[in-house]
Amino acid sequence: MNSTQKDKNAIPDKGKTLPAKEGVNKAITDFLKQSLEKKCFEAILVPVKVLDTESYAWVLLKDESILDQADPLPPVMTVQGGRALSSLTKHGEIKHKVAAVMRPCEIRAAVELFKLKQINLDNITLISMDCPGAMPLSGYMADPEKTKNTFTKIMEKWEENDSLRPVCQICQRFSLPSHLPPSPPLSSADQNDPDSSASDLHIGLLGGDMKQIFLIPASAKGTELLEKLDLSPQDSLKNWESKVKEIIEKKIKKRETFNKKWLAEIKGMSKFIEAFDECLNCHNCMRVCPICYCQQCYFDSQTLKLTPDEYFQRAEKRGALRFPLDTLFFHLGRMSHMVLSCVSCGACEDACPMSIPVAQIFTAVGDQTQKDFNYVPGRNKEESLPLQFYLEDEFCEVEVPSECEETAIGEAK
Amino acid sequence: MSNALKINKGIEEGLRDFLEFLLKSEKAGAVFALKKMNGKGAVSYSLITDTDELKDAVPLYPLMPVNAGKALSSFTLEGVPEKPVAAVLRPCELRAFIELVKRAQGSLDNILLISLTCGGVYPLKSLTDGNLKKLLSQYWESAKKADIDPGIRDTCQSCENFIPQLADMTVVSLGKKDLDKECTIILNTKKGEEYAREAPGSIVSEEIETAETKKLKEKRKEKNEKMVEDFQKDGSGLKALIKTFAACLGCHGCSQACPICYCMLCDFDSKTQEYKPVSFSSELKQKGGLRVPPGTIYFHLGRMSHMAVSCVSCGMCSDVCPVNIPVSTLFSIVGASLQGMFDYIPGRDVEETVPSGTYKEEEFVETGEYSGSG
Repeated sequence: MNSTQKDKNAIPDKGKTLPAKEGVNKAITDFLKQSLEKKCFEAILVPVKVLDTESYAWVLLKDESILDQADPLPPVMTVQGGRALSSLTKHGEIKHKVAAVMRPCEIRAAVELFKLKQINLDNITLISMDCPGAMPLSGYMADPEKTKNTFTKIMEKWEENDSLRPVCQICQRFSLPSHLPPSPPLSSADQNDPDSSASDLHIGLLGGDMKQIFLIPASAKGTELLEKLDLSPQDSLKNWESKVKEIIEKKIKKRETFNKKWLAEIKGMSKFIEAFDECLNCHNCMRVCPICYCQQCYFDSQTLKLTPDEYFQRAEKRGALRFPLDTLFFHLGRMSHMVLSCVSCGACEDACPMSIPVAQIFTAVGDQTQKDFNYVPGRNKEESLPLQFYLEDEFCEVEVPSECEETAIGEAK
Repeated sequence: MSNALKINKGIEEGLRDFLEFLLKSEKAGAVFALKKMNGKGAVSYSLITDTDELKDAVPLYPLMPVNAGKALSSFTLEGVPEKPVAAVLRPCELRAFIELVKRAQGSLDNILLISLTCGGVYPLKSLTDGNLKKLLSQYWESAKKADIDPGIRDTCQSCENFIPQLADMTVVSLGKKDLDKECTIILNTKKGEEYAREAPGSIVSEEIETAETKKLKEKRKEKNEKMVEDFQKDGSGLKALIKTFAACLGCHGCSQACPICYCMLCDFDSKTQEYKPVSFSSELKQKGGLRVPPGTIYFHLGRMSHMAVSCVSCGMCSDVCPVNIPVSTLFSIVGASLQGMFDYIPGRDVEETVPSGTYKEEEFVETGEYSGSG
């Protein structure tokens, strides 16, 4: 690791702070109000309660009064924030300065969508925050009050809690996305650009006993923003940093066990098939996935249509043919298309009407695949997508052995 | 009175025997019916060609993993099967299939339509919340008494169209005390009679509508009225719509699961509906804030205007909704009202054209007439 990179991955030692006497959410919305007042932004994209219901939706707002209904860190994830931001900017830069306040996995999805040219980040300031996780959507829909209470308790103590969504329970990237270990070194050439960091500003909730929040700049945009606002400086982020590290370590361990368990559970065709047995082919998982941006999915296309004779032939081979067809093909196909960019946000699992553990399976496979490519989705805007980047020496272990050895010998010399 | 095939076995076993007869006698090249997937209770529609595989067939299983009309449409979309296929499907699935055939999305050729007097199906969630086993044990008891099973889908509880139309054969599954001992299959059409010839069992006379089914129809009608009343309690107009769809994720699972929504690319998934930055700006200026992605209500209203006249109230849309929006309740209510205006019943008759595809000179004159340029 060279020195610039070390600097880049280091946590900034300075930031600003805001008291949170009336709760963390209030502190964040106050900060957002101030930034609107001071014209740092013209609009804010943030989850807001819909009318007098318990449901949340992403709202792009310019009126401060709407911020009173906002909940920057709601107990559930409805539409994945990356998806919302893509809807806003996929056809080009938005003409207003917009702050998008999102969970770290939503920021990471936004970064992946940026790389896939589905998001335009000009004029967008990405604001992330420490995320305790989200509650399963189905449970929230069934009993919002109870779910909210559980979530509030989880926020207070930041302890492990198995009522959170399974992928949230093992999420080690719940804090400042670009700076936290374990990250393999960046391979891309633009690693020295400070603005290639994932979020521009991070809101630290940990280490302040929920009595204050930390505003931590993560890019030049973030630093500039903080300078414009009337906030108390924070000289030391040590408390935040140590608390974040402590939780990361726990989560990493949990994640290892989790991945091992899932990789064993889906090993081999028959086990994989069994995991998706109850799939109805509704493709909800694909529709809510931030990474699945295709206008028309290959698996919904004409290509896969068969004639009655072809259906008969397939049925006769095995004695019976399941309808709809190609359920497994869809999941394997979707996996191969997007899993390198999977940010383990859990939206797919929340949207599955049959409670198939889609996100857990995709996380286990994603981790493995991303590790193979030394890639962390959403970590850095300039990092190239592995499948679009040619490396001469990559996966030489799968090459013809003699050639591989030659390369190795050449390198040794 | 119609002729019926009576098999002296329980309803499920008897039907399976009959299907086996169709396969063995080569009257049918395949059976299209629900089949067990695993030990956990999951079922899926299957095209069954092997009599061994038929052992796992559960054609009357009270779950609808996909609307069979949609599945049959994908089977027959690209041509006519060479060998006849015996398809067992519920009345609303049959109606959906007929609607799709009208729209050139499938073909009735070489399909033997077997349906049933339908006691309804359980929500798919019962498979995952562990309630299915308990529910299943009561299903046939409710069926024998032609009662509304309290566990079935909301739309099933208020469905008055539980006696199939256009089926070649109808399995009697409601209002018979001895469903455990006998299986009665009413032969509605000549085609049905031909397929049943030489089948094991005896030919009897049977009435499809009985005192029991009439009573059930009354009960379901009451439920339907109550459902409409309850739904309208929450108000009407745009505000009520916004509230109803407040939690909508825009996953469009309802459209994907809907048998009538056959479009390859839904207009609401197309580029046409995507906002350009300038649209966001102007709406933001106008309203001070807007929902992103936009068009949540527009999608549901648009889908409704596209398909509600053919809505068969199968309930698939509600079942796949990840946020429990009562989509099918709303669409059933609007559908019924719209269908009433056009005196149209979806799936009643394959020759009947879809209202919006038919021009009538005198229609809705009460809404005013075009007076011309003069």
